[in-house]
Amino acid sequence: MSGKLKSITLAALAGTALLGLSACSEVPQVTVYEQGQYSGKADTRPWEGGAFKGDRAAWEKALKERSRGQNEYNRIQ
Amino acid sequence: MLTKKSATAATSARRLRGASARQLGQTMDRRAFLKRSGLGVGAGALATQLPYNFIGAADAATPAGAARAEGKAEIRRTICTHCSVGCAADAVVRNGVWVHQEPVFDSPINLGAHCAKGAALREHGHGEYRLKYPMKLVDGKYQKISWEQALDEVGDRLLKIREESGPDAAYFIGSSKHNNEQAYLLRKFVSFWGTNNTDHQARICHSTTVAGVANTWGYGAMTNSYNDMQNAKAMLFIGSNAAEAHPVSLLHILHAKENGAKMIVVDPRFTRTAAKAHQYIRIRSGTDVPFLFGLLYHIFQNGWEDKQYIDDRVFGMDKIREEVLAKWTPDQVEEACGVPEDQMLLAARTMAENRPSTIVWCMGQTQHSIGNAMVRASCILQLALGNIGKSGGGANIFRGHDNVQGATDVGPNPDSLPGYYGLAAGSWKHWCGVWGVDYEWVKGRYASQALMEKSGITVSRWIDGVLENKDLIDQPAGNLRAVVYWGHAPNSQTRGAEMVEAMKALDTLVVIDPYPSATASMAAMVRKDGVYLLPACTQFETTGSATASNRSLQWREKVIEPLFESKPDHTIMYAFAKKFGWADEFVKNIKLDKDAQGWDEPNIEDVLREINRGTWTIGYTGQSPERLKLHMKNMHTFDVKTLKAVGGPCDGDYFGLPWPCFGTPEMKHPGTPNLYDTSKHVMDGGGNFRANFGVEKDGVSLLAAEGSASKGADLQMGYPEFDHVLLKKLGWWDELTEAEKAAAEGKNWKTDVSGGIQRVVMKNHGCHPFGNAKARAVVWNFPDPIPQHREPIYSPRPDMVAKYPTHDDKMKFWRLPTLYKSMQDKVKDISKDYPLIMTSGRLVEYEGGGEETRSNPWLAELQQEMFAEVNPKDANDAGFRNGEYIWVESPTKAKLKVRAQVTQRVAPGTVFLPFHFSGWWQGEDMLKFYPEGAAPIVRGEAVNTATTYGYDSVTMMQETKTTLCRVSKA
Amino acid sequence: MGRMKFLCDAERCIECNGCVTACKNEHEVPWGVNRRRVVTMNDGVPGERSISVACMHCSDAPCMAVCPTDCFYKTEDGVVLHDKDKCIGCGYCFYACPFGAPQFPNGPAAFGARGKMDKCTFCAGGPEETGSAAEYEKYGSNRLADGKLPLCAEMCSTKALIAGDANVVADIFRERVLRRGTGAEVWGWDAAYGGGERKQERKREGQS
Repeated sequence: MSGKLKSITLAALAGTALLGLSACSEVPQVTVYEQGQYSGKADTRPWEGGAFKGDRAAWEKALKERSRGQNEYNRIQ
Repeated sequence: MLTKKSATAATSARRLRGASARQLGQTMDRRAFLKRSGLGVGAGALATQLPYNFIGAADAATPAGAARAEGKAEIRRTICTHCSVGCAADAVVRNGVWVHQEPVFDSPINLGAHCAKGAALREHGHGEYRLKYPMKLVDGKYQKISWEQALDEVGDRLLKIREESGPDAAYFIGSSKHNNEQAYLLRKFVSFWGTNNTDHQARICHSTTVAGVANTWGYGAMTNSYNDMQNAKAMLFIGSNAAEAHPVSLLHILHAKENGAKMIVVDPRFTRTAAKAHQYIRIRSGTDVPFLFGLLYHIFQNGWEDKQYIDDRVFGMDKIREEVLAKWTPDQVEEACGVPEDQMLLAARTMAENRPSTIVWCMGQTQHSIGNAMVRASCILQLALGNIGKSGGGANIFRGHDNVQGATDVGPNPDSLPGYYGLAAGSWKHWCGVWGVDYEWVKGRYASQALMEKSGITVSRWIDGVLENKDLIDQPAGNLRAVVYWGHAPNSQTRGAEMVEAMKALDTLVVIDPYPSATASMAAMVRKDGVYLLPACTQFETTGSATASNRSLQWREKVIEPLFESKPDHTIMYAFAKKFGWADEFVKNIKLDKDAQGWDEPNIEDVLREINRGTWTIGYTGQSPERLKLHMKNMHTFDVKTLKAVGGPCDGDYFGLPWPCFGTPEMKHPGTPNLYDTSKHVMDGGGNFRANFGVEKDGVSLLAAEGSASKGADLQMGYPEFDHVLLKKLGWWDELTEAEKAAAEGKNWKTDVSGGIQRVVMKNHGCHPFGNAKARAVVWNFPDPIPQHREPIYSPRPDMVAKYPTHDDKMKFWRLPTLYKSMQDKVKDISKDYPLIMTSGRLVEYEGGGEETRSNPWLAELQQEMFAEVNPKDANDAGFRNGEYIWVESPTKAKLKVRAQVTQRVAPGTVFLPFHFSGWWQGEDMLKFYPEGAAPIVRGEAVNTATTYGYDSVTMMQETKTTLCRVSKA
Repeated sequence: MGRMKFLCDAERCIECNGCVTACKNEHEVPWGVNRRRVVTMNDGVPGERSISVACMHCSDAPCMAVCPTDCFYKTEDGVVLHDKDKCIGCGYCFYACPFGAPQFPNGPAAFGARGKMDKCTFCAGGPEETGSAAEYEKYGSNRLADGKLPLCAEMCSTKALIAGDANVVADIFRERVLRRGTGAEVWGWDAAYGGGERKQERKREGQS
């Protein structure tokens, strides 16, 4: 960890999602909170602060693997 | 500033809130009921004891918080110590502190799943309400003493009693919470002390099952497994509330249901298991035999029985058929148990048309004065349907405690040495050989050879051992003077009101337990001195094996060092063995290790190896510590449905080497997943019914029919058990090595300690060492060879008592006079004054007597008060409302003050009480009698304070499920 | 990555409370604070069903909408979190939440008798350094950052409670529903579209 916490720029991310959706002329399903309305401390994203050191793909893979444990059909047919 | 930012969001929120509020407002579940009735009190009292706030500074009382991130993380694999399912859990330990608990998805038994108890295991690493050091009752108060003083004083007192009254004046109550090795050592311990006056929870849990089932087909255990229920097409639960008592079993059961299996629940109470069933049938408590024979009536009437199977593998079914068709016609069934014909027919059809079908029973069936007959009726149903010895079928008898199966198998039983060897001289000689001690020396430890071979008093009756007229007790020592409670709750035994009298009359009472507080407080209520409390540690602070209900053994790693001044049970045993002067004999073949404080600790792996060398009867011989540890490391290689390892280092083994795992570990028997399964080779876990009752009865052969042996057996007919003579006759003797021959000469498959007979019979010839016989539908050595319905001693139906009276009294039964008929006659009209059936059962949050789980704040918060479930009709008749305090009074005049939960879960005429509570005594909180700092968080009335007299006619199982009471507003 | 969701399968939930104690275990949640609880309907009669409820991490979360200090934020993976340093313990989020998720511990809080709001974090910690003691004390452990899912769901006795990416959760649930061969029996459908209770009553009348 660098020690310095990266901040989530909520607005930027939400904006990307908005653009993506409007491209296929869909109504956005999710209310967007403007940057600045969250008044608390910045947080790291889960793949940044902990064991994954910023490797988002590895984190997503780990989570996907982990969710297999919740489905016993993976081991019993 | 409090303006809403999104009008739509707030509106929809209100709408949802309204909907869920309506939903919740209409019903009152158990928890809502408790919260509304008493949450404030409990929470207020606790505020000062518990870490209360996330916002505050780090609290020193929460070691996990501080130590969570420091030090190297080590993973220790352990097994939940609550019920018998055997759920694996990974403990994460840093700097010796248990900071974290992770699910073990790899476990084929629980696949990571836990109930409330299993998910709260880590709290054992806090243990703030445990007994922390040895204590002694002085002038009515518990005082701290040193271990040295405790061992000295307890030892001297016990030795003095032994000197004055003989070894049988002491009683040792062992534990199903001990691991196999400790349970086994305790049986050895009491043998060297010189008595058979020992017992443990199995007596009051499944003793009727063990006796009934073993006498029917060979072994007294669950025939299949939780996992195998996934292969069932229909499941009948009778007297089992698995959803609360064995929650993780529902993972397999609901999976089976999801894939088409039909589910029937039979119970006086609409349980949470019933809520998941396709058909729920309410019976009157204690009428299991009429119900089961009522099903058989329809099965025989419609020709649904498996005739070929019965011809080949069952003895006496014709007699059952006659009895059932003559006696248990639909009208008679409905009269006795209250179930109409159409419901009976539907259930019978479901079981018959969806084979393999399985049956599950628990304490609802075993804890009756005719428990042995009820369990046999269940066996007979399954035999008639041809379901035993089949995957998906079987008698899935769910055991209670985490190691009650193991403690039954190798632990402190009053009628047997480890491995069901019995108490005959030959059995003693076998075990003395294994222990490496002289038979004559052990005999000298007993008062006489006769007493050495005579079954001891049972835990259900120890109070009568103290209180009964001395001349009527069938042992020269007379009354019991000392009782050692070594890991057993007092509030799980009936007649609590008389138990305090017994405690008062004792010379010495010793409690060895992490949570001895229920016994301690009861004793302090009636005594001033003579009580000692010794802190044992939990199974997370030691290592060893535990046998789950499905007979699989699992190895626990030590998670943390013993907390406070506590010691593992086997270390305490060795310390007393030293005090008693036979320490060397006690550990002849067992290495001693030194613990951190310099105490001698018998090496657990060596103990298991000794068990391996002696327990040939039930195949505890193949499960070496090395094999068990390999299984724990390679859980992921086992198939969940079959429990068989596919490839990997355990290839071909069944998980946990479910007993019987015959032969030496080197023979590599894979264990037996389903008992008596002829579709498999014996070296692949196959088998057949046991030849244990002779080869013929009344001119009829008891051996199995031609062609019904296990797959690939050289002998494809029925055959007797193997011994040296049979081996020679068959010409197989020379297949033994010279060393094996020397050991096997004059021996049989159970006593040949070389394992040679088992090796040759199984590996070379594919036969079963215990022979191949028929199961017995008629058990002629029991009081009722054909199971009979008999009304409980305290019956709500005098008319039924006249029709189905109980047994005659027995004057000498497990060393005590035992009343049946005279007692029933005396109270046959008592239902006029006590009109309601009083029954008891489990809650998911607590286990057993409950001291341990009620000391765990994560669990205690969920069930804060003792309560009674009462039908609205009975509540209205008695004039009280939901949530009010009521008195539940039984014919013993004992009164319980509990909260009323008014619910249709119970039928009019039935009152249900959970049995996990203690710490209140007839309306009074016993807090002041507890050792300081060791009172559980939640206390309440123990149902067994009010339970009545009544014992099974074979095993002395106590009657808890059917007695009487009346209720009134407090 | 999509959005994190919980789903409780009422056909499987047996009200064992494993999820409740798993949460207590993982985060050392104090007595009286219940980030998760099990709700039972039709208790003790045919039709009895239970579901486990915690913060549902709503897409358009009412708590976020009403919070006067704007202490809530939503992570990229759809987890609703809040900053306890900003929370004033007013309870407006509790008023807004349809599930009763926000909890208010007793104690010497800065704002009257109520402490700052506490709720399920989807085991994702909060706005403090990941894995730090400060994060643990305020919000509990951060399993998500370790590549693990909420412990309540991971430990569920019958795998009734499922947590994770909404698509994965839906896949797991869909497979089960197909096996059962009947429609969506998830709790909420009948309740949301009416008829559930009435049907239940009819069923009961039919049986008695």
